[in-house]
Amino acid sequence: MHKRIIFAVAAVMVALMLICGCTGTTSDPTPVETQQLRIATTTSLYDTKLLDHLTPIFEEKYNAEVLIVSAGTGKAIEYGQNGDVDVLMVHDRAREDAFLADGYGTDRRVFAYNYFVLVGPESDPAGIKGMQPEAAFTAIRETGMADGSDVVFVSRGDASGTHSKEKAIWKGAGFNYSADVQGSGDWYQEAGTGMGATLTMANEKQAYTLSDIGTYLAYKGDLDLVTLVDEGDILLNVYCAMQINPEKYPDINSTVAKDWVNFMISDDVQKEIASFGVDQYGQPLFYAAQDDWEKIGVPQAEVKDPIA
Amino acid sequence: MYEIIEGFLEAIRLIVTLDPDVMAIAARSIIISLTATIIATLFAVPLGAAINFSTFPGKKSLINLIQTLYSLPTVVVGLLIFLLISRVGPFGFLRLLFTPTAMVIAQTVLVLPILTGLTISALSGVDPVIRDTLYSLGATRLQFLINIMKEARFAILAAVAVGFGRAISEVGAAILVGGNIMASSFASSTRVLTTAISLETSMGNISQSIALGIVLLVIALGVNLAIARVQHR
Amino acid sequence: MIELDSVSKNFDDTTVLAGVTGQVNRGEIFAVIGPSGAGKSTLLRLIDLLDTPTEGTIRINGLDIHADKERRLSIRRMMGMVFQKPAVFNTTVTENIAVGLRFRGTSKSEIHTRIEEALDTVGLAGYGERRARTLSGGEMQRVALARAMVIEPEVLLMDEPTANLDPVSVEMIEELVIRINRDLGTTILFSTHDMYQGQRLAHRIGVLMDGTFAQVGTPREVFTLPASRNVARFVGIENVVDGVVVAAEDGMSAVDIGNARIRARSSFSRGERVSLCIRSEDIRIAPAIRGRRVFDGNILPGTVTSVVPRGPFSRVTVDCGFPLSSVLSWKAVEDLDLREGSQVTASFTAASVHVVRAGED
Repeated sequence: MHKRIIFAVAAVMVALMLICGCTGTTSDPTPVETQQLRIATTTSLYDTKLLDHLTPIFEEKYNAEVLIVSAGTGKAIEYGQNGDVDVLMVHDRAREDAFLADGYGTDRRVFAYNYFVLVGPESDPAGIKGMQPEAAFTAIRETGMADGSDVVFVSRGDASGTHSKEKAIWKGAGFNYSADVQGSGDWYQEAGTGMGATLTMANEKQAYTLSDIGTYLAYKGDLDLVTLVDEGDILLNVYCAMQINPEKYPDINSTVAKDWVNFMISDDVQKEIASFGVDQYGQPLFYAAQDDWEKIGVPQAEVKDPIA
Repeated sequence: MYEIIEGFLEAIRLIVTLDPDVMAIAARSIIISLTATIIATLFAVPLGAAINFSTFPGKKSLINLIQTLYSLPTVVVGLLIFLLISRVGPFGFLRLLFTPTAMVIAQTVLVLPILTGLTISALSGVDPVIRDTLYSLGATRLQFLINIMKEARFAILAAVAVGFGRAISEVGAAILVGGNIMASSFASSTRVLTTAISLETSMGNISQSIALGIVLLVIALGVNLAIARVQHR
Repeated sequence: MIELDSVSKNFDDTTVLAGVTGQVNRGEIFAVIGPSGAGKSTLLRLIDLLDTPTEGTIRINGLDIHADKERRLSIRRMMGMVFQKPAVFNTTVTENIAVGLRFRGTSKSEIHTRIEEALDTVGLAGYGERRARTLSGGEMQRVALARAMVIEPEVLLMDEPTANLDPVSVEMIEELVIRINRDLGTTILFSTHDMYQGQRLAHRIGVLMDGTFAQVGTPREVFTLPASRNVARFVGIENVVDGVVVAAEDGMSAVDIGNARIRARSSFSRGERVSLCIRSEDIRIAPAIRGRRVFDGNILPGTVTSVVPRGPFSRVTVDCGFPLSSVLSWKAVEDLDLREGSQVTASFTAASVHVVRAGED
């Protein structure tokens, strides 16, 4: 009996060691030193597994190892400001501009876009289906604040790009975010976490939430939430990559960072992005930015020109 | 209810089939926490011995302080280490943030007080007659220390087990300084059992979470059972 | 061999030893006896360098052992110590006994032989691989003794080695002490609160009371000629009465104890205040007799106040104007038909009265 236990334990140990060994050896087959690239990314790119799809291609091509820290745009920008990462991938135009203007980042390139969607329970207690985003928000707020209401809106509440977008919609609908929305009642709840987790939470609470379409589609299988509002210019969601300014942080891995940004806008990857998820979800999670620069309102250089 | 049962079955399957992801995360957890515990032990045992066997003003307060630090919140340790090793921090040039090394450092700091404190308890728990006996047998200072450690070995071992348990089960520091990275190489990834459970649960992958949770429990229980066995010998 | 010169020790405000002076000779068994709390353990610990005296010096072979920190280790390694509480290391019996030898870097084969011998000596042959913690108290104490013995110390210190042990173990340890002293010539200094053990084992006894040696002498001296009232009490002399010498002549004196006069052999002179120590074994009880017999001693009429059984004897207390205790066999008590209220005479010779100068108390 004792022997059997010892053998079982030994077997597990050996298995663990094998796994360590295998993964250890596969990572460095070439004698050339592998470069490490640290990326802080918004959760939507991570939770959709787009980056999981792209990094192996990059790693093989450039003999690099990609380390991804997934956080809301706010947090990611903070990592960027501290120089803790080499590349930033976010979706909040206004804050990106500030980040660039402050000299923390350089060479922004836009590589993808999609749209935000307002999702909620199929019963749609606030009756927002098919409305314009601003009107839908107004309706949610009104029904949510009514007595005995079971309408709930879950906000990312984490200073992410999605959160910024949500605030922009509240503003567009004529509300002062901090005064009229935040703390205005139990109907408005801040999750303080990533997109995937927020969707899971909204699903548990049968609540409304704003999500990028990519993450929503990736999670749709596990959710009872349906798309209620998906039209309106304000819902446009543009993803960019930029490298941290090597002048600010000289030991940034600038070469690989450039490689990554250029990789993201390369023709091959743009095709990968445009087709990513189609076979699984029946529709793309992201659109390639390459040819739609006019539509999304960014300079052509930001989608076309590789960094020198 | 169905989801839980299904999650459980899937979890069992993941464990039985030695799912590479689950095993890699478990292995990484063990390696990181074990390394941290060993390093902390190397510091804590001599430190505890030094404190226990010397007399100086404020000794009692120091021991009290150490005991207070047992309950050091893990996120605070994480924050502290984050601030120190972030690029703009004093040790930023080492580029340690989001590496397993950073997690080892954080966990080492986390378990250092508990290991030191329990070492002090273990050593002061040795019968004073044993101490006198060692001296009366003609022990040098070093021989004395070695033999007192031998006497307290089970208690110290238990302290190490407690430390390891705390290290492997904490999530706050691991996520702050590790970043929960799943890289293509084992050594660069920082995803451990606790952070993976946190992530998988938030992403709705309940079975993955349950599997990881079971592995974590088995490791924690296993260590403590092993210690209990040794102690009762 | 060991000289104690006005050794004092205070712990904070408590004085434990207040100037102990004495000498232990090479090769002798010296017992420190005294009531609990008299400082016996402290004295032994000071000699073993486990503590430092507040004042005074302890010399071994003429060398002040506390003077030179550099030599502490070599001095301590001359000695072995057994403590009151049987304490063994949490390992095998063999490993326990080996510790002192390992400290000294003794070779493996030498350690092995010596341990086998030691186990044999203490009657634990075959116990070598047992875990020491699983032994009985008596066995543990024998391990402790073996452990202290294998290092072949010049001096063996034992602090109440048999307190709390069963009678069989006590006997074994006592035999071992005598054998170690006889066969190896080891100087043995041990403390005990059991005065009879002191009597059984020691060549000389030091009575430690109130932090000093109240008396140092052979067992016979200490038990029959106690130096003070307190020593007399401690060594079990039940009858101690105070009085004043009223007549003295040719080594004989008459002592007035208030309501009686007692004749005793002593060299104290008239007017001196003294204490009389009379062993209860020396007092005879007889039925009351009228008239006086010629008797070179003391005959005191009295009334029995109590008859208390004590082991195979009975203790009979007689009120002769002062209480006087005697020990009689049960048979004697029956034959004399002694009971509370019986009128009797108590008699004892002048030579059985030991006279000491009265203490301050």
